[in-house]
Amino acid sequence: MAAVVANYRRPLAPRIASGLGIYALAALVAIWLMGPFLWLFITSISYQRDLMAMPTPLLPVNPTLENYQKILGLTEFDHADQARLVIASLSNSFIVAFAVTAINIVFGSAAGYAYARHRSRAMSLSLYLVLFTRMLPVVVLIPALFLMLRQVGLQNSLTGLTIAYCSFTFPFTIWIMKSYFETIPRELEESGLVDGCTRFQVFVKLIVPISGPGFVAAGAFTFVLAWNEFLVAQVLNSKRGMTTLPPAIAGMLGQANIDYAIIAASGFISALPAALLALIFQRYMVQGLTAGSVKS
Amino acid sequence: MAEIAQRDRTRAPLRAGAKGSGGLARRFHLYANSQGGFATLLILPALTVIFAVVFFPLIYSIWLSFAEVDLLDTSGPSLDFLGVTLPLYKFVGLANYRELAGDPLYWDALWRTVYFVAAFVIEATVIGLAMALVLNTEFFGRPLLRAALLIPWSMSRVVVGLLWLGMLSSDFGALNAVMHRLGLIDGYIAFFKNGFSALNTLVLVYVWNQAPFATVLFLAGLQSIPKDLYAAAEVDGAGFWRKLWHVTLPSLRPMMFLVLVLSTVNGFLMLDLIFVMTFGGPGNDTTTVSWLGYRTAFSFFQFGPGTAILFTLTLMCVVLTVVYQRLILAKFQAE
Repeated sequence: MAAVVANYRRPLAPRIASGLGIYALAALVAIWLMGPFLWLFITSISYQRDLMAMPTPLLPVNPTLENYQKILGLTEFDHADQARLVIASLSNSFIVAFAVTAINIVFGSAAGYAYARHRSRAMSLSLYLVLFTRMLPVVVLIPALFLMLRQVGLQNSLTGLTIAYCSFTFPFTIWIMKSYFETIPRELEESGLVDGCTRFQVFVKLIVPISGPGFVAAGAFTFVLAWNEFLVAQVLNSKRGMTTLPPAIAGMLGQANIDYAIIAASGFISALPAALLALIFQRYMVQGLTAGSVKS
Repeated sequence: MAEIAQRDRTRAPLRAGAKGSGGLARRFHLYANSQGGFATLLILPALTVIFAVVFFPLIYSIWLSFAEVDLLDTSGPSLDFLGVTLPLYKFVGLANYRELAGDPLYWDALWRTVYFVAAFVIEATVIGLAMALVLNTEFFGRPLLRAALLIPWSMSRVVVGLLWLGMLSSDFGALNAVMHRLGLIDGYIAFFKNGFSALNTLVLVYVWNQAPFATVLFLAGLQSIPKDLYAAAEVDGAGFWRKLWHVTLPSLRPMMFLVLVLSTVNGFLMLDLIFVMTFGGPGNDTTTVSWLGYRTAFSFFQFGPGTAILFTLTLMCVVLTVVYQRLILAKFQAE
């Protein structure tokens, strides 16, 4: 029995399919995961007229960067006014996503730390409320948020959007950071307090410097959520040029007169930052995903 | 914890200071350095935001679902809160909900949503689990494939919709091109022309986007299964399927619960793909409850009925979470 356990390496591969079989399956998974993304890139560097050939070429016939030049305003074309929105909404997307991430990192991690270290009836009640908001669909809040922000005059502003986004990112950040801080031994704080630090100094000087992985998990996760959000931006910031990239792209799709290759280029630009974050911080984001979804 | 509390002498001076000695700043410092005070100060900013953008809008939304909202009429009663005036509109009781119950459009959308959610949950769970089983096996290039796992998930659903519109296009679709080359079809298929096919296509695209999330959870679950369980099963002569059924699936039950709950809720709430790919059509064939609610509130600006629809949706999500918890998690904990 002991020898069997020691030699045990592949728990789930069927014995017959172990060799080539697993590579066939892996190839299938790779095509399923990456195929559509690659096709988006291929269309974004193609000319619409080449795509329309029957049968559709699967590799670009005349690769070109012209679609990108068009949406970035470097080349004039018929529907330049619609495509030009891409630059404005790209910068709006960056501003909002960075602001939301920064606010979440500072205040979300502070709250996460408090929940990780301090237990009292009031604390668990408020933690329960935070988790409850995680269950609440954002879409049900949008009508009320719309009326409230309109009344305050923050509709069609990046500030309003940033505040609205915090409603669904805060619970995630608090939970991810709470799980992370719980892995840090309490002795560290005790020694800091004995050495005469205030609690604030202990947090800033001892805990924050060693919490990099937690910040990366929460930060990358928050950035992707804010970067990709569509409905709230679509409803709250409907004014031309005041919205983020996803609603701008959805608007281009609604208009039949820009060609698909140009829209694909803006889609690829929108997908790139989040995809890069996901690839670079894959391990941390998986931590964040699992911590963020495991409630109660 | 107890040690900290004992060593925590800052509490005593705070009480002494309350009698008058020490300025406001000093008392603040003492409060901030006490255990409870520090925790309160740390959670305050986040809780303020959550109250302002979640709880307050939630309560206001509940009111809206019982009101007749006329956006242009602000002459009615209003609520003053922190200097902000919020119109309360006309209270109409259950009228919005009663109207829903008698609306065939709503019931059609509800059954369509049930079909959509069932198909989505089954497909996302099966494909998510299959991918997790493949990615849990050792092979060359596995780290790369695990990294690629997050690509579909990391994309905005607008971009997901956009790229699948291209893949499935009847003019230049890659999927049509591949099937055509393989000799499976004679002409290009129009996936969105027929209502039932459009609905199922939406399921497929949403599965592509969400299944990796299930895979991540299943992978985390798979890694926590002790390997000697499999060794013991092999000694007993169990093959792949029997090990899957008797060892893997029972061990994955808590993760299975999470995946089922989260994908059910996500299925009910899916909205952005419909916005990009079908706009609820053809006809109303892809109009789900969430799309109906969104359209009622923001295309027709009927905020009362719109929020009422969205609240029935919220209620369904909550009820389902509770039911799942009773059925699966309770059984799991009993074992």
